[in-house]
Amino acid sequence: MPKVQFIDPSVARQAGEITFNPIPVNQYAKTVAEEKANFSNDDFLRIYHDMVVIREFETMLNLIKTTGEYSAIPYDHPGPAHLSAGQEAAAVGMAYTLTVDDFIFGSHRSHGEILAKGLSAIQKLNDTDLLAIMESFFNGTVLNVVKKDFIGTTKELGRRFLIYGTLAEIFARETGFNKGLGGSMHAFFTPFGVYPNNAIVGGSGDISVGAALYKKINRKPGLVVANIGDASMACGPVWEGLSFASMDQFNELWEGDMKGGLPVIFNVMNNQYGMGGQTCGETMGYGKVARIGAGVNPEQMHSESVDGYNPLAVIDAYRRKRQLIDEKKGPILLEILTYRYSGHSPSDASSYRSKEEIEAWQAQDSIASFGKSLVDAKVTDQNTLDTVWADIKQIMVEMLKLSINDEVSPRMDIRQRPEQIGEMIFSNQSVDKMEDRTPEVNHPMAENPRVIQISKKERFAFDADGKPFSKMKQYQLRDGIFDAIVDRFYKDPTLVAYGEENRDWGGAFAVYRGLTEALPYHRLFNSPISEASIVGTAIGYAMCGGRVIPEIMYCDFLGRCGDEVFNQLPKWQAMSGNMLKMPVVMRVSVGSKYGAQHSQDWTSLVAHIPGLKVVFPVTPYDAKGLMNSALQGTDPVIFFESQRVYDIGEQFHKGGVPEGYYEIPFGEPDVKREGKDVTILTIGATLYRALDAAKILEEKYGLSAEVIDARSLVPFNYEKVVASVKKTGRIIVSGDATSRGSFLNDLARNITELAFDYLDAPPVVVGSRNWITPAYELEEAFFPQPEWFIDAIHEKIVPLKGHVSGQNFSDLEQIRRAKLGV
Amino acid sequence: MSTTFDLAIIGGGPAGYVAAERAGKKGLKVVLIEKGELGGVCLNEGCIPTKTLLYSAKLYDNAVGASKYGVEAKEVTFDFTKMMDRKQKVVKKLVGGVGMKMKEHHVQVIKNSAYIKGRSANGITISVGGDEIVATNLLICTGSEAFLPPIPGLGAPGDLILTNREILQLKEKPESLVIIGGGVIGLEFASFYNSLGTKVTIIEMLDEILTGMDREMSEMLRKEYTKKGITFNLSAKVTEVKGNEVFYEKGGKTTSIKGEKILVSVGRKPNTAGFGLENIGVELNRGGIKVDEKMRTNVPNVFAAGDVTGFSLLAHTASREGEVVVNNLTGRNDQMRYNAIPGVVYTNPEFSGVGLTEESAKAQNIEYKVAKLPLAFAGRFIAENEGGAGLCKVLIGAKYGEVLGVHILGNPSGEIIYGASMAIEMEMTIKEMEEVIFPHPTISEIFKETIFSF
Repeated sequence: MPKVQFIDPSVARQAGEITFNPIPVNQYAKTVAEEKANFSNDDFLRIYHDMVVIREFETMLNLIKTTGEYSAIPYDHPGPAHLSAGQEAAAVGMAYTLTVDDFIFGSHRSHGEILAKGLSAIQKLNDTDLLAIMESFFNGTVLNVVKKDFIGTTKELGRRFLIYGTLAEIFARETGFNKGLGGSMHAFFTPFGVYPNNAIVGGSGDISVGAALYKKINRKPGLVVANIGDASMACGPVWEGLSFASMDQFNELWEGDMKGGLPVIFNVMNNQYGMGGQTCGETMGYGKVARIGAGVNPEQMHSESVDGYNPLAVIDAYRRKRQLIDEKKGPILLEILTYRYSGHSPSDASSYRSKEEIEAWQAQDSIASFGKSLVDAKVTDQNTLDTVWADIKQIMVEMLKLSINDEVSPRMDIRQRPEQIGEMIFSNQSVDKMEDRTPEVNHPMAENPRVIQISKKERFAFDADGKPFSKMKQYQLRDGIFDAIVDRFYKDPTLVAYGEENRDWGGAFAVYRGLTEALPYHRLFNSPISEASIVGTAIGYAMCGGRVIPEIMYCDFLGRCGDEVFNQLPKWQAMSGNMLKMPVVMRVSVGSKYGAQHSQDWTSLVAHIPGLKVVFPVTPYDAKGLMNSALQGTDPVIFFESQRVYDIGEQFHKGGVPEGYYEIPFGEPDVKREGKDVTILTIGATLYRALDAAKILEEKYGLSAEVIDARSLVPFNYEKVVASVKKTGRIIVSGDATSRGSFLNDLARNITELAFDYLDAPPVVVGSRNWITPAYELEEAFFPQPEWFIDAIHEKIVPLKGHVSGQNFSDLEQIRRAKLGV
Repeated sequence: MSTTFDLAIIGGGPAGYVAAERAGKKGLKVVLIEKGELGGVCLNEGCIPTKTLLYSAKLYDNAVGASKYGVEAKEVTFDFTKMMDRKQKVVKKLVGGVGMKMKEHHVQVIKNSAYIKGRSANGITISVGGDEIVATNLLICTGSEAFLPPIPGLGAPGDLILTNREILQLKEKPESLVIIGGGVIGLEFASFYNSLGTKVTIIEMLDEILTGMDREMSEMLRKEYTKKGITFNLSAKVTEVKGNEVFYEKGGKTTSIKGEKILVSVGRKPNTAGFGLENIGVELNRGGIKVDEKMRTNVPNVFAAGDVTGFSLLAHTASREGEVVVNNLTGRNDQMRYNAIPGVVYTNPEFSGVGLTEESAKAQNIEYKVAKLPLAFAGRFIAENEGGAGLCKVLIGAKYGEVLGVHILGNPSGEIIYGASMAIEMEMTIKEMEEVIFPHPTISEIFKETIFSF
């Protein structure tokens, strides 16, 4: 919504046409002899060598999967192996020119890319730095395995380190690059610039854009390559990544040295099959992947289709594209045409393609052709090439022996330390700022208009006589969230926030009002309305070392970033063996009044996913304290807010919301009202209806209710709730989520187990009906109302004299509804 | 007239009046609505009148057979009209007694038809004879009525075709009686009229009388009555009724029999129509009101007890169900249990049982042990039942020895069986039972004797 850009109707409505430039396809035509000026003989041989490493590595795994042995060494590998034999030239060509600072992200079929980028990094690192990396990684655990009895150069050691670390990871060994928690489809090694590979097709399509965003905003050297497949071009998150990466604002609105495109190359490894589906001719319609660039931006993403069977063609493309990245002309789209010899996985017998087709591609095999062209150009002779093969085979045998030796390559000892994986789910660190430098801001915080406005507000909702101040005067929940966020923007230079209406508008529900004035564009900006890219890029941004607040407005839009929230955000800390941190605070607002697709409380969906912290504060004091904790931490937090209470003042915390910084630890429920006869535990804004119910219970039925606000869902400390149940013997658990499968049931189950002997009746769940959320005017039939608590107590816990139930909590009705599924 | 109540009860039978009495005693403001007489089917057209008549028949039988005991009674006769008159007197007295109890516990009784109009925040609105009352809670105990199966030619109950209602109003003893349905009701009327010399024929669809009771004893009882002159047609399906002729099919052959009167006693159906249940959305199940173990219907504040729920169909079950409702309403957590409900067939000899039969235990795959003793093992039985036979059967759990079921054929088992009900209700094992002291000499000792034979 930038006012500076005027949309002129007379220009917008002018007649014209959209023109396209031709997109080059396989234009590279140089011979080895012609390239001698650009490559030394050693360079040529190294390219050959790296391709052979990949071929032999994949051949070894293929033999293990299909015959149970390699070089007469038997081994059973039950896990996955999506192999890339045939694609070596594409991988090595991609990685050859990349520096250690350049990052690659990959797919489920990325062994080749890991090895190619690793070998490229080893080549470029000096021995001291290389050794330092290897020695410091997991305190030398990986290095020690390959170093033992090894005599040779540091680079040779590095080569073994790379092959062994990858192989051990594939075999789920604790000595693998990710302690065996990543495995074949996810293995990576960030010190060599190898970032997570992704088992979800297209998963890297938006995460890698976030990494590029990190590099740009934090002025880090290097570019980012997203290695994705030809089939992933149909995936929404990939398209969202392309859209995010090509936003006009990078060139139009970002200022100073921030002006210019993202340093990202979408490198589509087009092996022409998506599992068994032929992308060109069957499952897609683009003809050439490179065509898609023309649809993304006027620069056509500088798109190009390159012969990925010739490593020199790919290297040539990368040399030219890096030039464009350096000129801030990203994003780039590259289609690298290649072919995989093996099936999608070892269980795939390639029944969907002909033997003739495979043989035709094998006849033009990239390694054989390249070797022949080197001999023809007299760069080397066949003997030398044969020696390369022999040498690599020998290393493979040695690395395989090491990696399957349970003595030197043990698996994580889950018997000795059964909680080891659990300890990796969260990093649980407390970090003021992710990097130590001066944050970029537009003015001192004290001069910010919103900060000044808030300073004049009443920090407690009521005056000395207990009368409420006017809404305008009250320090509201939205002020609490703002307070914590603006404070962190002035502390942590890496912190960025973006989402659907973050700038100018004042953010969704006016939480960010005032932030626009405080921050330059690159720290606070509007994203496309595409939640997958909002969350996906945040993941990439965080795993590279930044802190980020993605915001998706309505909770109902969570489904649009399902993979990002369910598979990516929560998993990478543990899947990396805790190498990565994920300081992402994702703001999600639970709506009301807007019907079925804008009023849902989906806290339960995210609470179900291991690896996410989930909080839902509904008082200004809690909102500020929990947001401070969220932003101080290093874990992904889904920070729920309720549109019912953005304007609510602080009614509970004595003395009101403190002006200074304070943290409220995650997981601690808070007693908002003390009582002795019945406990009501609530999630979210249901708290206020529970308090109304407590008043009715007191006045009409003489029952004293203790009301506890869960505040957090994950983590959650049951001790306070159990203590309350010991006192009251009865508990209602309530929230606005639809009841079936909700987290409320989880709470009820745990309370039953933990306080069974103290309960006079089973915990009762009062959630929303299992319907669509109706219109605001009808919602009293859907969301828990104060009277529902009384009804539930009357029907399920203890009959209340003279009470007539409005809601039906009878057992028979419960059974009937369940039978009908409503 | 006060129009708001804590509890409104529709139906003044054993569920309704007992619930009203208990609730009134606990201080609830109760209204009991009954369109007929208080006491329900049990008091007016069931348990009480039949037992009164059966006692007359028993006295007559004893007088006729008194010489076995050295008592000579000459020219023993009976007066059918006097028997019927006395029955009316007994009923009237007991109905009056129920009315007194209602007064004593401040229960407002309205003798009229009730119609449920709806539910609001104030409670359930019921219209009674033009007035409207509102009650916080509603207990429905509208009972059941005789079920008339769709048999071709079977007319409405009246002069010829009788149900439990009409047969109690007969002016004269019929010379012959055909009874369709060999359950408790059929057997009791068969017993009564057999004593008086009526030619009785029972047609039962199943292969034994008294379904649900111990099969071995049912067979013994049937043989006893066969000796006394009742004709039993088992596995016989009534296919048509033509005037006073009942046609039935047995083993592929159709036969017929004529009776001066025809009693239909094949079962009962809950009374759920005509009083506005649908206006509050009460859920039905197999014709009865669906309830949970606290007798709650699917509608909050609405309860049901007794025959209207459609399963136990016994007065004492109904009363206990009514009590469960009141207990829960007044803060005492209480659940209905159906495993220790005694049943008594007031034939001569009486036949009583409680808990599992061998047949039901097998059907439920419950492992049990069984012990049997003739009643002759109880001294008093020999003393009082010259030439009479009887049997006691006890079932216990195979693993823990808990009492699962007790069945006694012989007089006066109906007065003894409650002891077995207590044992089952209290989940007593035979070891615990062995420590209970029984009075000697009594017929009840047979229970303990049988237990000691395990």
